[in-house]
Amino acid sequence: MDAKDILGLPKSTHPASQEKKSRPLKESQRKPDGISREVYALTGGVPPLMPAVEPLQLKKRPPTDEKITWQWLPFTSSARKDNLQLYHWVIVVNGIPPTGDYSFAKYNKSVDVVKYTDEEYEKHLTDDMWTKEETDQLFELCQQFDLRFIVIADRFSSSRTVEELKERYYKVSRSILIARAAAFPGNVSEHPIVKEPYKFTQERDRKRALSMVLSQTKHQERKDYEVLAEAKRIAESHMAARNAKESELLVTFTMDSERAIVFGETLSPPSNSEFAPAMVAHSTSMAENASTLVSLRMLRVYLRTYALDQMIQAASSSAGLRTIKRVEQSLQELGVNLKPGVPTKAVCAQHLDLRKEILTLLNLQKQLQHKEAEGSSYRDGLYETPGTPKDRTFVPECTSSTVDLIYIHWMSGDRVGKRDQKRKALGRAEAPSLPAQSKRPRKLRASDL
Amino acid sequence: MNNSSSSTMHGPDQPEISGPAPAPKSLRTKMGKPEDSEKKIFHKKLKDVEISVPIVYGNIAFWLGKKANEYQSHKWTVYVRGATNEDLGVVIKRAVFQLHSSFNNPTRVVESPPFELSECGWGEFEIAITLFFHSDVCDKPLNLFHHLKLYPADESGPMSTKKPVVVESYDEIVFPEPSEAFLARVQNQPAVVVPRLPAGVALPPPVPVEDPSNRKRGDTKDHPLCQWFTNFSEADELLRLATARQQVQTHIAKFRREITLIEGQHQQVNSVSDQ
Repeated sequence: MDAKDILGLPKSTHPASQEKKSRPLKESQRKPDGISREVYALTGGVPPLMPAVEPLQLKKRPPTDEKITWQWLPFTSSARKDNLQLYHWVIVVNGIPPTGDYSFAKYNKSVDVVKYTDEEYEKHLTDDMWTKEETDQLFELCQQFDLRFIVIADRFSSSRTVEELKERYYKVSRSILIARAAAFPGNVSEHPIVKEPYKFTQERDRKRALSMVLSQTKHQERKDYEVLAEAKRIAESHMAARNAKESELLVTFTMDSERAIVFGETLSPPSNSEFAPAMVAHSTSMAENASTLVSLRMLRVYLRTYALDQMIQAASSSAGLRTIKRVEQSLQELGVNLKPGVPTKAVCAQHLDLRKEILTLLNLQKQLQHKEAEGSSYRDGLYETPGTPKDRTFVPECTSSTVDLIYIHWMSGDRVGKRDQKRKALGRAEAPSLPAQSKRPRKLRASDL
Repeated sequence: MNNSSSSTMHGPDQPEISGPAPAPKSLRTKMGKPEDSEKKIFHKKLKDVEISVPIVYGNIAFWLGKKANEYQSHKWTVYVRGATNEDLGVVIKRAVFQLHSSFNNPTRVVESPPFELSECGWGEFEIAITLFFHSDVCDKPLNLFHHLKLYPADESGPMSTKKPVVVESYDEIVFPEPSEAFLARVQNQPAVVVPRLPAGVALPPPVPVEDPSNRKRGDTKDHPLCQWFTNFSEADELLRLATARQQVQTHIAKFRREITLIEGQHQQVNSVSDQ
């Protein structure tokens, strides 16, 4: 306003036009449809953000042709036998009240309790433990309370347990049914009461057991659990002992036959240290073999490929994952399928033996690397102390030949070329443990062998 | 049959077979009742004798070409056959093929050889084949799994209705402790590989089966698809394995030599430094 004063603009026209604008605006705002002005004002005078229910829909209802009124009318129910007159609100359509029974009467179900005559009682149902009055009372209560025995037991005059009441009731019903069936030919054997008679002792024990379980303290629960676990362990150890005994027998048998072959196969000059671990390894592997054989025999039927897998697993159980991968790599390089294409008995045996031999080879390789490491530590010691020239000539010789065996080539010499480069890197990566490597590694070629 | 069988039954009883030795009298007197003696050998099992049945299982699938529609583009047959195309019915009682649940009645039972199943479809899935054996063979069934292959490995070539896609696997069913009855029954059957019996074990002569001409032939030698069957031979594999083993053994020997060499040198070094 002051700015306009400063600018010297006429201000007379503006207020007038503003008033005119605001008034028509307000009037248009004041035009809600369907709801009254005050109610609309409750929302803040602005239409709500969310689409509300159209006010037009609220008041409208499908116009019916029928005249509907509600009336307070009496009704009867077939479930009641006492002619009690009750009233309720009833919808009356076009002046016609609804007909039919009370809609909830159909839910009034009851049990068919057997009703015996005095004659029948005399004939079939007399019992030492029960008088006629008691039996009659029992049946009356059963009828009244729809066989809710806990209530019946509570209401029963003399103190009888629920099981006793049940027994009496079912015994009587059963006898009556059978007696009546005898008179009028009919098959009652399918009737549940006849088919499954009530067993008093069984029920009593069952309930007692249940209550015991329910009332077990935490301490008892834990003890039970421990006992069960112990029993399971004992059973399993029995099974294991039986298996072990069988495999032991097998091992002793196979050991005897295998020993001859082992002795025949040794190529290298016998050195005691080498022999003993080899034998130990052999015997443990044979034990594993024997146990797989036993487990296979227990199967009664199996596939050759499955058997081979089991034996391979047993043989490589001592080897790590990396070693297994190296075995598979070696197999591939040798041109042998990882899974034999024609797994006959002979092929599987050869395959298994080949895998075992490759494992042996890899172990020897590792052994060699360790020896080499030892050798280098010796060498370091020697270089520090003044040693005789004789020592120095020996040591470099052995390093040059052993370091070359870091990686094995299966291929013939002419194909070595390019692959050498890749192999060299792999070879280095695989043998990081070698501390002192000779400066001029000469790759071992297959032609060297 | 009876007299001779009873005499051979007693001889080898003592050393090898663990089981009650039948009383001689009872067998000889019951001449007219072979079932008793059969029942006895039913239960007796032979250790150290392993019966194997070489089988080939797989599928052959033909593209239907012009007649193919969206839901049935191939006609395929999955089967289990003897490796030499002999009749497997002497061992296998029935085969159950469990197909993909989208098939009608996915559990298909084949009661007699040749154990095969043909269907039309478009999808590849794993089929579980359960083999049930005769009662004297084994009471436990055996499961095989085969992945149905319809489409050729290289997708480049045009599909032909004449040349099917064939995927077969070789395997052998092994019975480690066969009953005598089983052994007796199959000792002359070509589908079964029976090893030489250990010394001293003799079997009763096989009970004659029903007239073979009455039964429907169960072998697959003249099967309509037999031209596509793979011939599995172990010779090539054995050769490669032998060569590989040779190489490995040579390397082993070399390593062993090297190790002993180093050990010798270490000992020398030790003795030198001790001085």
